[in-house]
Amino acid sequence: MKKISVLFVALLSAIGGQALAQNITYPTKNIEVVIPKGAGGPTDTATRTLIEFAKNKMPKGIIFVPDNKPAGNGVAGLLDVAKSKPDGYKLVMTTVELAMFPHEGKSPVTYADFTPIVAGVADPVVLVVKADSPYKNLKDFIEGAKAKPGKVQMGNSGMGAVYHLAALNIERKLGVKFNHVPFTEGASATVASLVGGHIDAIITGPSAAKSQVDAGALRILGVMDTKRFELFPDVPTFQEALGQDLGLHMRAWAILAGPAKLPENITRELTTAFGDVVKSPEYQAAIKKMGIMPVVIVGKDAAAMMKEDHDTYKVLIEESKKK
Amino acid sequence: MNDILTAASAVFSLHALLMIFLGAFAGVIIGALPGLTVNMGIALLMPLTFTFQGMTGILMLLGVYCGAIYGGSITAILINTPGTPASAATILDGYPLALKGEAGRALGLSTMSSLVGGLFSAICLVLVSPLLAKVAVGLSAPEYFSLAVFGISIITSVSSLSIVKGLMGGALGLFIAMIGLDPMTAGFRYTFDSVYLMGGISFVPVLVGLFAFSQGMVSMEDSYRGGENRKVQVPIKRILPTWLDMKRVFPTQMRSAIIGTIIGAIPGTGGDIASYVSYTEAKRWSKHPEEFGHGSVEGVSAPEAGANAVAGGALVPLLTLGIPGDGATAIMMGAFMVQGLSLGPLLFTEHPVEVNTIFIGLFVANLMMAAIGFAGLRSSAKIMDVPRRILVPIVLTLCAVGSYSVNHTMIDVFVTMGFGVLGYILLKLDFSMSPIVIGIILGPMAETNLRRTLVMSQGDYSVFFTRPVCATFLVIAVMTLFLPIVGPKVWAWWKKRSGGPALVEAEGKE
Repeated sequence: MKKISVLFVALLSAIGGQALAQNITYPTKNIEVVIPKGAGGPTDTATRTLIEFAKNKMPKGIIFVPDNKPAGNGVAGLLDVAKSKPDGYKLVMTTVELAMFPHEGKSPVTYADFTPIVAGVADPVVLVVKADSPYKNLKDFIEGAKAKPGKVQMGNSGMGAVYHLAALNIERKLGVKFNHVPFTEGASATVASLVGGHIDAIITGPSAAKSQVDAGALRILGVMDTKRFELFPDVPTFQEALGQDLGLHMRAWAILAGPAKLPENITRELTTAFGDVVKSPEYQAAIKKMGIMPVVIVGKDAAAMMKEDHDTYKVLIEESKKK
Repeated sequence: MNDILTAASAVFSLHALLMIFLGAFAGVIIGALPGLTVNMGIALLMPLTFTFQGMTGILMLLGVYCGAIYGGSITAILINTPGTPASAATILDGYPLALKGEAGRALGLSTMSSLVGGLFSAICLVLVSPLLAKVAVGLSAPEYFSLAVFGISIITSVSSLSIVKGLMGGALGLFIAMIGLDPMTAGFRYTFDSVYLMGGISFVPVLVGLFAFSQGMVSMEDSYRGGENRKVQVPIKRILPTWLDMKRVFPTQMRSAIIGTIIGAIPGTGGDIASYVSYTEAKRWSKHPEEFGHGSVEGVSAPEAGANAVAGGALVPLLTLGIPGDGATAIMMGAFMVQGLSLGPLLFTEHPVEVNTIFIGLFVANLMMAAIGFAGLRSSAKIMDVPRRILVPIVLTLCAVGSYSVNHTMIDVFVTMGFGVLGYILLKLDFSMSPIVIGIILGPMAETNLRRTLVMSQGDYSVFFTRPVCATFLVIAVMTLFLPIVGPKVWAWWKKRSGGPALVEAEGKE
């Protein structure tokens, strides 16, 4: 009997000791980073680069393990992390769709279910055509679209996703009508289709089109932002090209986040580490090569951006439903 | 020329060669384990490449890529369980051949065919990649749809026992593929508010359940009924295939290599489709179509040559356009980005050394893969000698581990078990598994592209007939679908009338 109780005490103290050790230092094991997008896409490469640079800020031997869960437009991956234990070992690269899907009945989770850490991407949205397209500038394009409503084929990477809503916003503000062609395979599929000349235009992120634009196969007509995009300084904003401000500002962000109610000390640890990463010139140089502009939006700023877009898209989606 | 020499010296350094070897070795093992696929192998090892200097990491990934596609055939031939989706077609003839006591011959042929397919596609990558890339982007939604329909039509030729049961299996596969998000409107289908189903049923757990888990149950039943009555394995006398075999399968290998390279180059299609298409075409052109399904040497060679040719093909759009040709190259794209290589039209002029390094690396990776395959042939064939009561629990454990690792969820393990039981029942009812798998692989491709075509043409169906490539595929699909049913009747009628030329006889037997 005595033996058993001794054993019991020993066991208890072992368990207790372990629990204590975990409380003192975070992280003690590898951190899983769910990427709710397909491997090789812009979100994927941005995330992988971000966590690669962040590895050095973590204790030795701890790595971030990327895990692609693109199913269901990424909702499955978001849910997976939102429902996980807030212990800091499971993070997710939320994307701008998180600000839209809840209003479309596609996602049971919203920005409130996550604790934002850092923004990896906050790129504007661009309108791209083939280099030999008859549309030489944005004005041409809009006039062309007005001339044959519902005929100009506009590729997007999934209905209800950011690029589709951007196209809807153009339709609404400029009184045109497109024929929307969704490519659930992702942004690279829209680029392939445009290069092949099967569709007339696409709305996408600058990074997805960069190599084709550099090679002269595609042409960017306009940036949906308040200022020009640094990597394509010759491309006008919608405001400049059309000579009027229509409030067409859309950005596709990707914010690394943990589940809601992430303990204060873990959040601080992660925001400090990732904050250092996004400020480092090495990281900024690396993602510039991929056509992504470095941004420093950390912690509370990222939370503000998520909330702001959540409210913006709520209005936009409700208005588009009314029509 | 200078670029090629610089590239060659990079590849033939001891360090790089070792990395390609390790990559290929890891790839073969990952490929051979049921549930661990090519994509997972590359995703698993990709983080390692961040730490390597320059191109070494990418060379290692090429090794993994080639090794894993080949590795799947080992388990397919020896234990009737495809290691990866790309080798699901290999079991159709590989396992029957192994049962005849010719596992060594089957493995030798599959290894040789993998090598031939891989080298052929590497040559295509070097010589005609700009042309291939043009072909790949020239295809649009109607062609993708017709290609998928053509793939689905294969069902009638891989279901040897009963065509009707094959079609039923195919329909089941198409249904499974429909569960989840609607690809066009992003609405939910058959999800019943389940979070798991919202993302659709993952393909790998289904595959592992249907092939591996059900096989485990069959073996359990066998040993319960009265132990092991298997043929004693004939000792392996030679490792390389005989000259006679090689001569016989060479046209098949070449045909499959061409099919595999082209399918690889088309974005969004990969080894799983290429191997089934190669198999069917081998059967269509074979002088002995009746041997297929019973251990035909061409039936083993075709899917392997086709699947491994995908590697070179899939690199074509990746390097020339910056658009990945299949899932594995999509993951590799990240590794290229990290090394600061912006893929696309400018890669060849801006980074000629790196491009040549990849070219040479792909040849070396294929040779390494074959060397590992041939060297390990004797030991891997010993799996056949392991008593079933020991082998089956090991395989079932691997099944569970493999399915768990797909999405890191236990639900996938239960899906595997559920489909294992379903597969067992279907086996008892003389259904074959391949039609179900083909339905799952090609269902989404057919559906998405049919609907996309109609969106693009604004509801006009005539595009399917006016586009030559699309129409050709559809005609072949209809022929493939109906020849096994109508063919014999036409032949009988023809024979009654005039005795018919030999050509019709060959067609009638398909």
